[in-house]
Amino acid sequence: MSLALAKLVGYLSRKLLHKSGETIPGKVLLTIYPRALAVLAKGRKIVLVSGTNGKTSTTKALAQVVSQLGTTVSNKTGSNLDRASATTLMSPSQYAVLEVDELYLPKLVAETQPRVVLLLNLSRDQLHRMHEVKKVAARWKAAVDAAPDTTFVGDIDDPFIGYALTNAVKSVRVSFGGRRHGDGAVCPACGKYLKWVGSNYSCSCGLTNKNFDLERRTGSAAFRNAELANIAGAVLGAPPISFAPSFLERVIERKVSQIDCSIRLVKNPASWSEALTSVKGQNVVLILNARQVDGLDTSWLWDISFESLRGKNVAVCGERAIDMAYRLHVAGIESRLESDLPGALTHFNGADSVEVLAAYTAFFKLVSS
Amino acid sequence: MSTIRIVRIHNELLGTYGDQGNAEVLAFRGKFHGISTTIIDVSFEDQLPRNGNIFLLGGAEDAAQLLSLEALKREKTLEGAIADGAVLLAVCAGFQIIGNSFWADGQQVGGLSLLDVESSPGKKRCVGEVKAKSLILNLELSGFENHSGITTLNSGAKAFAKVSSGNGNGDGHFDGAVAGNVFGTYMHGPILARNPQLADLLLTRATGRAFSQISDPLATKYAGIARKY
Repeated sequence: MSLALAKLVGYLSRKLLHKSGETIPGKVLLTIYPRALAVLAKGRKIVLVSGTNGKTSTTKALAQVVSQLGTTVSNKTGSNLDRASATTLMSPSQYAVLEVDELYLPKLVAETQPRVVLLLNLSRDQLHRMHEVKKVAARWKAAVDAAPDTTFVGDIDDPFIGYALTNAVKSVRVSFGGRRHGDGAVCPACGKYLKWVGSNYSCSCGLTNKNFDLERRTGSAAFRNAELANIAGAVLGAPPISFAPSFLERVIERKVSQIDCSIRLVKNPASWSEALTSVKGQNVVLILNARQVDGLDTSWLWDISFESLRGKNVAVCGERAIDMAYRLHVAGIESRLESDLPGALTHFNGADSVEVLAAYTAFFKLVSS
Repeated sequence: MSTIRIVRIHNELLGTYGDQGNAEVLAFRGKFHGISTTIIDVSFEDQLPRNGNIFLLGGAEDAAQLLSLEALKREKTLEGAIADGAVLLAVCAGFQIIGNSFWADGQQVGGLSLLDVESSPGKKRCVGEVKAKSLILNLELSGFENHSGITTLNSGAKAFAKVSSGNGNGDGHFDGAVAGNVFGTYMHGPILARNPQLADLLLTRATGRAFSQISDPLATKYAGIARKY
């Protein structure tokens, strides 16, 4: 009965409001039946994916891997709160691969009793909501400790993931040969100054990325996430799939104002830094918004080095373009300030291609247009 | 005066909320004023330079805050430099460190006592925009706060700004504290990026020179935008 009502609301939301309908049915269901997640998860094999960056694309890859084993449902649009999980689980299947918000992961682990949980990474993001990275990691650790039947797959080159997995009963600890972490100066386990040798950490308390179960060669975030998806799929017995890096990159190619634009999603210091290393050409547009999911406060822009843009042609736009323009100005990089992408592109008339880095909400607006 | 040395203290620990931008803004404003500046990054394992002119502390999570304090207590460099007239701007966790005491990871800890203030844990987390009238400059300051501390001022410290919206110190009145050339505040943004006149004030304190108004339209536009929370 609850389920039917929730489905009806979802149908109406799609028909009347033209929304994706990924959130509303689950929200209604959880309101009238708070234990719905546990009931819907019963008798199916649940796989959860969480992390600061790469959740949506890795979930998409992992769903493809898992779907080789049987009928699989998965979130489609990047909605990742408990209500979206509930909506996804309302469709029957043998397997469910769910992208889960970092703060909701403990709840989902406790209620859906997943077979496998894939932990990608943790770094600063939306601090108005997450507050402190260490606290998120501590909640994850408690969730891991309380789920002895779940296999946790994690990239322990990230010290916060290594910490969360410390006492996991079943885990696959993966290292890609080490990687410096922008927020990794303090040991999340004991609070000492974390000792890094090159790209590897080892603390006197024992926390290290050297005690991996699996080692893979290093690569881009997209490469690593593809590997992690296959490793998580293998826990269920799924054969690996060879993914092109572009499958896991949030990049879309669009012609805007007669110019080929490659538009990449960026959202926090870690993803901006990764995206800036990918900029190959001379023409760059940066789009900055500061809505809830972008992070309402833009202080974090000052924690990113934009040095790689020096000497390039840079235009900035978006609702908070001024924040970006001023940050670049102080770094000695002058940019063209415009309100939107077509405006920004007027500075690149005749160019073959432009690389666009777009904040979360700006990216989705462009994707849906 | 020779080159102004801007010392960014423990950026790997205190660089988690954009406050490292304060150093860049100081150097940038210095350029406008014709002052030569250099930014010196001092890590947890390094010694602080005694001859720094402007020292900067930023915000951090509890464990990082405690480590930074531990390193500063190993030496008395900062206290000595301040006694000689150096300028210090300390934000959020940094502000708490330089007070008499604060709480981190559930324990009360003694600070550097460079400001006569005490911080204690509040019941709620204060997250959002702050507007506060500077009590030093005739200026409305803006910043972003994200902390759960309540800081009370003793007789040896004056308030840095009077809060018109947001929480600041959480005492219902003020943000931050000042004593001589030592400034503490809860405002991120970074504060000097949003309020460049404050950067000019710190440069004036460090050089003893008064500066004329700078025309930087982009800075004015950035400072003036409406910020919602």
